[in-house]
Amino acid sequence: MARLMNEDGQWIVLMGFIISIMIFFLAIIVNQSVLVGQTTAESVLDFPKSDIQDLRSEVFSSRLLPGDITGITEDIKTLSLRRKSAVVDISNTSGTLTINYNNGVTSYHETIQL
Amino acid sequence: MVEDNAILYTIEGIAAGILLITTAYLIISTTTIYTPGDTHISDMQMEQLGYDVLAVMDTPRLDGENSPLETYIETNNETGFRVEFLNLVKSNSQNWPENIKFKAVVYYRNQSSAIKIGNYTFSHYGNTTGSEHLVMVTRRVLITNMTTIYSLDLGPENRNQSVLLEVLMWRD
Repeated sequence: MARLMNEDGQWIVLMGFIISIMIFFLAIIVNQSVLVGQTTAESVLDFPKSDIQDLRSEVFSSRLLPGDITGITEDIKTLSLRRKSAVVDISNTSGTLTINYNNGVTSYHETIQL
Repeated sequence: MVEDNAILYTIEGIAAGILLITTAYLIISTTTIYTPGDTHISDMQMEQLGYDVLAVMDTPRLDGENSPLETYIETNNETGFRVEFLNLVKSNSQNWPENIKFKAVVYYRNQSSAIKIGNYTFSHYGNTTGSEHLVMVTRRVLITNMTTIYSLDLGPENRNQSVLLEVLMWRD
């Protein structure tokens, strides 16, 4: 390489390399940030927030009805299983109300002391 | 004799070329991912809107009263449900024309039948062509007076029960 006529430009070449490598890494970061948004949106979609709120509200309001509510509890369980693909169990024993919900992705358990 | 004077420039050229192509690939592949994400987001917004509207309709206006949604189902008031649902779904501060269509079906449990669940179409507005983005929202409704539904012979038994209202929504 000693035969190169002029070596004054070496710094410019080096700077060019450094800058292009920086741009390369910035591009990797931008590329990854989209994946983060995608994953977050998907996990928000998967989480059955409205289902759980609806289930709780129905369980609480059915408790206020006079008389036997076994039939209503059975309605909630059957319709959850057949239409919402979620296994739901509601039990009320010795002053403790438990709600269990599992749709295969999210499981939710709640225990209330009455 | 072949001279090797320019060998450094050749290596430099190849390295720069690889860097440029890889960077361009990364940037182009970044923008293409946005498309499927976008459709999810607008579907998600409509789903949330539907759930909220049903929750509002299933809230009693006064303490001790039945909720409007329960009353509509109990009296099989198809028109009342349609008017209020569309009114709430389309309410926005700018009065933009919203073109939302829906089909509402009631699912109930049948104690005596082996099939266990049944359904009847409660209310609908518009027809699907099959190319719309359909969004399903649901709401469990507690029915405390089944006499009208039972006398209309729509399917459910005459007892207090929890039915599942499924509303299929789409923008036309």
